[in-house]
Amino acid sequence: MQRISTTVRLNRSILQFDDAAHARLEQYLAESASLLEGDPDPQEILNDLEQAVADQCTRRLRPDQSVVTLAELGPALEEIGSVQVPGAGAGSKQTPRDTPRLLRQVSEGAVISGVCQGVARYFGLNVTLLRVVTVLLLIGTGGGMILLYLALMLLMPYAPLEPGSAPIRWLPKKCRAFVEFLRAKLGVERPGNTPA
Amino acid sequence: MIVESKLAPIRKGLLEFLVLKIVGTTSVYVPDILRRLAGTEFATQEGTLYPLLSKLRREELVLYEWKESDAGPPRKYYRLTDAGKAQLTALDEYWNLINRTIADIGH
Repeated sequence: MQRISTTVRLNRSILQFDDAAHARLEQYLAESASLLEGDPDPQEILNDLEQAVADQCTRRLRPDQSVVTLAELGPALEEIGSVQVPGAGAGSKQTPRDTPRLLRQVSEGAVISGVCQGVARYFGLNVTLLRVVTVLLLIGTGGGMILLYLALMLLMPYAPLEPGSAPIRWLPKKCRAFVEFLRAKLGVERPGNTPA
Repeated sequence: MIVESKLAPIRKGLLEFLVLKIVGTTSVYVPDILRRLAGTEFATQEGTLYPLLSKLRREELVLYEWKESDAGPPRKYYRLTDAGKAQLTALDEYWNLINRTIADIGH
C-alpha cells in the first residue's frame, strides 16, 4: 500500500510527510507564526523552527523510512515545544507597548472581529453590556449599526495577539485575516507592526 | 513544588542571563545550549530559545555564523558581541549583588 505524501521544504531541508503529519506540521507552523505576531523579526525564528523540525524528524526516521508520520513528528514537536516569546509572562506581562491605552480590536475572545472588546477595553466598560447595547442599537437603527461596526472593524488596528491565551474563534480569525489582507492590499499598514 | 512555582518568574527571567553565559564560554549552536541546560532547573526547548536568541541578536548582544556540519545542512553558531560580553559582566555583578543582599537579610 502506498501512502500519499507531500514534499515539504523546511528552511534548508526537504522532507516528505504523510497527510496527517503534514496537517499537524502546518498547524504547528501557523500557531508559531501567530504567536510571533508583533515580533520584529518573525521570519528568522520561523526558519530556525522549521530547521529544528526537519532535524528532529530526520533523526527519528528509520534507515528504511522516507516519509515522516505522526510517530516521528509528534515527539519532535513535543521536544521543540511551542513558541515562547521572551519577556511575556515573566512578571512584566504587558510590555510598555500596551501601556498607553490604544483603541484596538482584540481578537482573543471576540465574537465578530473584536471591536466591542477593543472599545470596552479603551473606555473601561463592561464588554457584555456594550455588546447588548450594540445589538439593541442594531435593531433600533435598522441596520445602521452594521455600517458603524464595519467602519470600526476596517479602521481600528488589531492589538497584537497575546501568547498563551485562549484560541481565537473562527469568525474573528477570518475577520482579522480579511482586514489585514485588505490593509496589505491598500498598503495601509503592515499587520502587527503598528508603532509603539 | 510550591517553592518551585513561586520562583518560576525568576527562573524565566534568568534564562536570558544563562544563555548569555553559555554563549559566552564558546561558540555554540542551539542543541549545545539545550544540552547544557537539560536536567537543570532551567531546562528549556527550541521553541523558547530561538525567539530569545533572535531578540538577543537584534539587541546586538550575540551574533551567529553559519558552519558546515558533517551531516545535514549548515548550522548557526552563536557567540557574544563586545556589547554582549559587557552585558554579561554587568549581569554577573548584579546577580552577585542580589545574592549577597538575600544572604545578608534576616541574619
